[in-house]
Amino acid sequence: MMEFAGEQVQGAVQAQGGENGASPAERRARQERRTALMLISPGVLWMALFMVLPLVMVIYVSFWTQTTFTVEPTLTVDSWVRFLTSPTYLASTWATVRIWAVVLAATLIIGYPVALFIGLMVRNQTLQTALLVVCIIPFWTSFLIRVIAWRPMLGTEGAINTILLKLGIIDTPLTTLLFSEFAVLVGMTQIYCVFMVGPITFMLSRIDPSVIEAARDLGAGFGRIFFKIILPLSLPGVIVGAIFVSVMVLGEFATAASLSGRKVNLLGNIIVSQVGSLKWAFASVAGVILTTIIAAVITVLLRIVNVRKEM
Amino acid sequence: MEARVLKPILGVYCAAFILFLYGPMIVLAILSFQGAGGGPQFPIIEWSTYWYRHLLGMTEPGRISRLPIGDSLLRSLTLAVMTTVVSTVLGVVTAQGFRTRFKGSGVVFYLVILGMIVPGVLVGLGMALLSNLLGINRSWWGTAFVLHVVYTFPFAFLVMLAIFNRFDRSVEEASLSLGVSPAQTFRRVTFPMIFPGVLSAMLFSFTLSYDEFSRTLFTSGRELTLPLTIYGTFSVEIYPNIFAFGVLTTLFSFTLLLIYALLMLRAVRSARSFKGQEEAA
Repeated sequence: MMEFAGEQVQGAVQAQGGENGASPAERRARQERRTALMLISPGVLWMALFMVLPLVMVIYVSFWTQTTFTVEPTLTVDSWVRFLTSPTYLASTWATVRIWAVVLAATLIIGYPVALFIGLMVRNQTLQTALLVVCIIPFWTSFLIRVIAWRPMLGTEGAINTILLKLGIIDTPLTTLLFSEFAVLVGMTQIYCVFMVGPITFMLSRIDPSVIEAARDLGAGFGRIFFKIILPLSLPGVIVGAIFVSVMVLGEFATAASLSGRKVNLLGNIIVSQVGSLKWAFASVAGVILTTIIAAVITVLLRIVNVRKEM
Repeated sequence: MEARVLKPILGVYCAAFILFLYGPMIVLAILSFQGAGGGPQFPIIEWSTYWYRHLLGMTEPGRISRLPIGDSLLRSLTLAVMTTVVSTVLGVVTAQGFRTRFKGSGVVFYLVILGMIVPGVLVGLGMALLSNLLGINRSWWGTAFVLHVVYTFPFAFLVMLAIFNRFDRSVEEASLSLGVSPAQTFRRVTFPMIFPGVLSAMLFSFTLSYDEFSRTLFTSGRELTLPLTIYGTFSVEIYPNIFAFGVLTTLFSFTLLLIYALLMLRAVRSARSFKGQEEAA
């Protein structure tokens, strides 16, 4: 707040000084810049107060002293020591990273061929748009409903078991489908796959067909065309998709809570349960660790490709 | 040659993928017509609309309690409307500011975009801590509302930025230099040009806020929103009434989408007819 007021005063002083010597064009440019700053300030203020400040608060409170039902602002590293020495919490950190890695790989492997078909094989613009819309429509169902929809699908008396039994592939229903890590992985892959398909399709549809034709005329096989032309050109899409999927999977807890039968505890689940028992300092430690992991993942992903340059 | 083989294979694969996306919802929709005594699984003992009537409170009170969706639905809709208005206004105003180059625009851009990236559970936790520290009561119309805007404002901002990038400034300047007042210029020139963007920003904000859950979880206090009510049923045994609810909310969302499409179509048509007038003259 103080800084903002200071800037405005400075701007006003500059503007006054400028009115004596500067040309009308300069004065107008300055006026425009001042208007621009005025226009962006409500948004910046909103983000600073309601996003940056809460995040700073999480870091700060992670060093507070935790008593049974409340936290006190006496600084300590107790919560950190407890987190980093507890096998349970380290295991859930590891589970978060493991599930993120598997879901990321699954969305890429399952999604890439779909993007290849929509973005590159379908050259009819209308059909392309229609296919993308078909992929996006499920997002108009509530997220929690999409999660819960996997229960009648995977359950012991669910659709998959019923079909497999009817076909005679299995004799007894599979019980490991639901309430297991597998269910969480399947659910997350289905929910987040489209975020991978979208950006890759976008990059693929921008490839000039004549480039591929030229390569083919020069005698390159499909494998060579794919690895030398298609894959490198689609890489920025893969990275953007990977960032979307990573951020969403790492911050997840609802899918694990409803499909794993409490067998999978992600960092998000730790935060929810700790807040539930008023262990604010501890929840904050988990929050800071989660933030660190997300920041590290995004940094690494952005290192691979300069997305800003390529888009 | 290889492409000729590959294309049908990928086509079939793509169809399988779409089935993967829709499969659970189809099963859920089928099971929502389960009979009164049936559970949330196969077989369907009897086809009926019992769970829809149960959801709407049109059945005899029985063993299974009704989903408490009435109040929470109203809260969620109000919250979504509030979020839509504020984040669309913020989005338009901020994007308007970005039409002029200024120092630090990169930092501001990333600051805004961060709002859609940062996990809801983190800002939710931070906001809960902050309200504890300041002694503010947490509520869906206060602490949860500001977080919803943090989430939807970046979407509105990006949409408006894309619109303003394609926007020919000289049209506005021509209107102003012809002596039309700034208010009139905004109403007759600027607004019709940015209207499709505003509509898209509103659609984004509304649907994202209406469905938002992780940002609301720690910040809504005692009065629950619709997604929180649904989440509350996760911990106990589920019944087909939640499936019926899923079908109904999906239909509601499609209605919204249809209204959006119709409004968009009208905007495009009127723009076209305007161009036609110009040509005729």
